Amino acid sequence: MTHKLLLTTSLISLLLIGCAQPAPDLAGKNNISDANHIEGDTVSIDENSYGTGSTGNYNSSSDGFKSIYFGFADYSISPDMENNMNHNIEVANTAASKIKIEGNCDEFGTDEYNYALGLKRAKAVKDSIAAQGIDPSRMVMVSFGESNAVCTEPSESCYERNRRVDIRLMK
Amino acid sequence: MRQLLLAVVSMSIFTLNLFGVDATLKIEKDVEQRARIALMDGSTEQSSQVFDILLSDLKISGHFLPDSTHHIGDLSSNYIIPALKSQEYVIKYTMDQRSGAKLLVRLLKASDGTQIFKKSYAISSKEKMPFLIHKAISDINNILQYPSISWINRYVAYAVYTTPGRSEIRLADYTFNYKKTIIKGGLNLFPKWADRAQRNIYYTSYKGTLPTLYKLNIYNGTKTKIASSEGMLVCSDVNNDGSKLLLTMAPEGQADIYELDLASKSKQRVTNFKGIDVNGRYVDDESRIVFVSNRLGYANVFKKSIEGGATSQVVYHGRNNNACDAHGDKIVYSSRESSNAFGDNTFNLYLTSTGSSDTRPITTTGSNQFPRFSTDGSVILFLKQSGHSSSIGYTNLTSHQSLLFPFNDRKVQSIDW
Repeated sequence: MTHKLLLTTSLISLLLIGCAQPAPDLAGKNNISDANHIEGDTVSIDENSYGTGSTGNYNSSSDGFKSIYFGFADYSISPDMENNMNHNIEVANTAASKIKIEGNCDEFGTDEYNYALGLKRAKAVKDSIAAQGIDPSRMVMVSFGESNAVCTEPSESCYERNRRVDIRLMK
Repeated sequence: MRQLLLAVVSMSIFTLNLFGVDATLKIEKDVEQRARIALMDGSTEQSSQVFDILLSDLKISGHFLPDSTHHIGDLSSNYIIPALKSQEYVIKYTMDQRSGAKLLVRLLKASDGTQIFKKSYAISSKEKMPFLIHKAISDINNILQYPSISWINRYVAYAVYTTPGRSEIRLADYTFNYKKTIIKGGLNLFPKWADRAQRNIYYTSYKGTLPTLYKLNIYNGTKTKIASSEGMLVCSDVNNDGSKLLLTMAPEGQADIYELDLASKSKQRVTNFKGIDVNGRYVDDESRIVFVSNRLGYANVFKKSIEGGATSQVVYHGRNNNACDAHGDKIVYSSRESSNAFGDNTFNLYLTSTGSSDTRPITTTGSNQFPRFSTDGSVILFLKQSGHSSSIGYTNLTSHQSLLFPFNDRKVQSIDW
């Protein structure tokens, strides 16, 4: 067993020595020929035209609408949001332009799932408004997942404020 | 002999505990397979950062048992100091970062100082120094005829939230010693590599009224609009040849998974469920997908054929498995294990497969999310949060070696490798 192991090791060693690369000139430059994609400069893009100077517009309702708040991991409109919904339907009835419905979540989710949860909340609000006779084609939904937090403190009251749907008119 | 092996095994367990996280134990077999190797630094100015990256590369490869002592010694000499005679190999190196970065490496047999390999590496951008090291270790790994670890040469693309409504998309090397913001301003999310060569990424922009998916060439800035959708739009996966995408989109306000054929521009709806279907990943021969759905009332992992047919449950463990990644038939998923809604935010990672119900824990402590396989499926990247600190973790599924690197960026939105 030991002899076999030694023989195998010796053969592998000989093979390795035999396969050794010809030694390049250590003074050579830029010879990482097979890693050119790392050598190249990558872009730096600035898209600051979005939301400049007033991020507050993106984490609350506006244009007379009121935000609708949700329970943990839930996307059904609770009875205590009825007054806010009735108010929003009145505003929607008189709105001159399209209505944007934005779904938001707390930070207790990951990746895509949180964005889908935000969308389900937006859909619940849209369906509720549409049920009162508002043309669904006048409403556009976008989920912002956990990206538009109102607050970031680790407290239940903060998380509650982030689990919401904001409504505004499309500009 | 048995006592010697036991001693080596004990020392290896100790080393793993020092440097690893959540390492599961199959040590005996690994000790026999990995090559003992030491590093000797001949640089004019020694750098602990350079040494640490070299050490990390050797460890995470799964093919080496590196000596963690930072030895200092001459590059050009073939002399091996007695303390290193017990090693199988010695890497002698110098790193010069005065103008750009220049790395010289020599691989020697520890027993007699025979040179096996030598090469110089240079790059004009000093910041990209970590990539020189990764390339050198990748080359040494290949010279010694171990399975490829070319994934250490790849960029990690990730999005982080900066302020409410704003994010940045950044690139990093796998250790996050190199970092660069490539898109800032606005809300740009879900970066996903578009090709294996990492020349293009897909990402979702919120600049317009609707979420819009773009393809961006990261070298020349060419940007192409791929699709837009009401509600949400995410490129969840790209097939092997880059010709098809799995998208999560909601043209009618319902998040479902679609397959987009880039050549014909045709979209095929793969799932159709009134709840949540997201996070599609190609599995097996790319004729099937796994995805996350709440069709049982909680987030869990399911699979189905792209051409239709029944949906079947993949994971029979946990009550909140809300993200997954796949490679071949392997699936890694994160499972929320907090005892209450707002207590410790505990997520752990588990490994399973499409063909078996066997499940193996990858992590056991902290919050572990965003699992991503390496291109060969041998290593899993993840984000670990423990207390107030964050780290990028890696677990080598073959060697069971784990590594953590400090991660100081703001809240991560998404990662791709």
